[in-house]
Amino acid sequence: MKSGKKRREWLGGFYVVPAMALLIMLLIIPLLYTVYCGFFQYKYMMKGNYVGLDNYIYCLTDSTTRNAFLTTLLVTIAATVISIVVGLILALWIDKRGGFFAYIIELIGLVPWVISMVVAGLLWRWLFNGDLGLFNVILKFFGLDPIYVIQNKVSAVIALIFVMSWRTIGYAMILILAGLKGLDGSLLEAAKVDGATAVQSLFRIKLPLIKSQVLLATIVLTVSNFTNNTVPKVLTSGGPVNATNVITLEQYNLSFIYYEFGKSSALSVLIMLVVTIIIACYIKVARYEI
Amino acid sequence: MKRETKTKKYVMKTVEIAFAAIFGILNLLPIFWGVVTSLKNPREINAFPPKILGFLPTIEHYEKILSSGFFRCIINSVVYAGLAIALGVLLGYLAGYGFARRNFPLKKLAFFLIVVGIPLSTGSSVLLIPNYMYLMNLKMANHWFTMPLIYTAYNLPMATWLLISGIKAVPGELEEAALIDGANQRYIVTRLIPPLVKPSIAAAALFIFIGAWNDYITASVLVTGNELKNIQMAIYDYMGFFGQEWGPLTASATCAVIPILLVFTFLGKQLVSGLTAGAVKG
Repeated sequence: MKSGKKRREWLGGFYVVPAMALLIMLLIIPLLYTVYCGFFQYKYMMKGNYVGLDNYIYCLTDSTTRNAFLTTLLVTIAATVISIVVGLILALWIDKRGGFFAYIIELIGLVPWVISMVVAGLLWRWLFNGDLGLFNVILKFFGLDPIYVIQNKVSAVIALIFVMSWRTIGYAMILILAGLKGLDGSLLEAAKVDGATAVQSLFRIKLPLIKSQVLLATIVLTVSNFTNNTVPKVLTSGGPVNATNVITLEQYNLSFIYYEFGKSSALSVLIMLVVTIIIACYIKVARYEI
Repeated sequence: MKRETKTKKYVMKTVEIAFAAIFGILNLLPIFWGVVTSLKNPREINAFPPKILGFLPTIEHYEKILSSGFFRCIINSVVYAGLAIALGVLLGYLAGYGFARRNFPLKKLAFFLIVVGIPLSTGSSVLLIPNYMYLMNLKMANHWFTMPLIYTAYNLPMATWLLISGIKAVPGELEEAALIDGANQRYIVTRLIPPLVKPSIAAAALFIFIGAWNDYITASVLVTGNELKNIQMAIYDYMGFFGQEWGPLTASATCAVIPILLVFTFLGKQLVSGLTAGAVKG
């Protein structure tokens, strides 16, 4: 009887085999294959000589790549911080309100996240467009000079950060709200009875208790912003003059414009390393159990 | 004293409504303005000041894009998403059942792959070059099944994750009772559990749909040609093709947004709970 049960448990492994096979085939093996490709010279898809770490050295020393990395760092940090701070404020606000009102705000907040990045990029590009875009129409209405947002180096970066934060504020809000909803109400009640002010209970009770929720949202958004190439590609196409050329666009260009697949493989591995570090933090914070 | 608190309350309420209004406008304005633009004729689009309402709506831009192969791309996206949902829900459900109910060798490692897979495939551009090189060399790119398989793989970790927590919530005694009543394992997996985890299945399907329907970058490198192009690729290509003609561009964007917003309106609750439902242990 006991061995029968054990056998049943063993056979239970077969339930996960198809899913695992697909994930190993399309997520794990390609990643390992890229690590291998990064050590070779490529002419388009033709594998050339083994070049050791040359591709990696190129990626780490090339000034365009380095600038792209710095741009990515700036955009990622700025967009993530804005999303988390605004998302946190919104979550605290609608948690207090609750009910149907809160549900509507949640839904409206998620709209930018559920529509595609191509569509979001395109629509904002239209709003920021030269003289006809709504943004400049509004500026003109108030008697201000138009700003050609996408054509100007500084404003293009700001626009990119703005659109990336716009996309994820609602998402951050939902994740943080889940933490707030899980709070023990009696704790806050007790603090109130003891004479704690609203500010005190916010900083001493609420925030410390939802710390890991906020941290997780931060990590997820960091990965997503760091590896986002669709929004910059559609909104600014990396311009003007490489001002918004983020690392994933550089990786794309290396592959599909310069056909340097050895170098782009090495760059992919480097990006993957950064993402792996972030995911390691994620697993540590999430403390998954099975 | 009492009056003062009343005024204060009034002010707070006004501030709150203003805040909600700004939030709503910022979030919905791009879509609203896109729809409005798509319904104007070119002269109205170039008019200053632009009319918000009170122009004669026209569907000429929609006719223009539909006559230039856009419909085929919509169908492609529907097929890709449909296949990915079917395969993803099936594999995710089976895996979810295995993880929730059985102890098998290497279970921890397999679960680790699911957990790592979620953030890894959110940033699917990490996998862009790897999958391009790999699938090109295997001659697996540029087929009708390329994108459905990729979308299934990218969204399977999340789908499995949602189904694990769904199946775990079904009491184990139910299965034991069914076994005692003479039901076999196949009955339990195919008939007993699925109706009980409908919300999780809906949430999994929803996430796969959003992932598959909205993807641009992966499809843009893995498939070429009008026969395989998806809707997002078509919109991006129009940006090069139509340039500053915002009429057809916003019309194509509107077409891409409508199904997402429809699904979102009806299954919004599933989406919100899917995002949060035990996604993390605090």
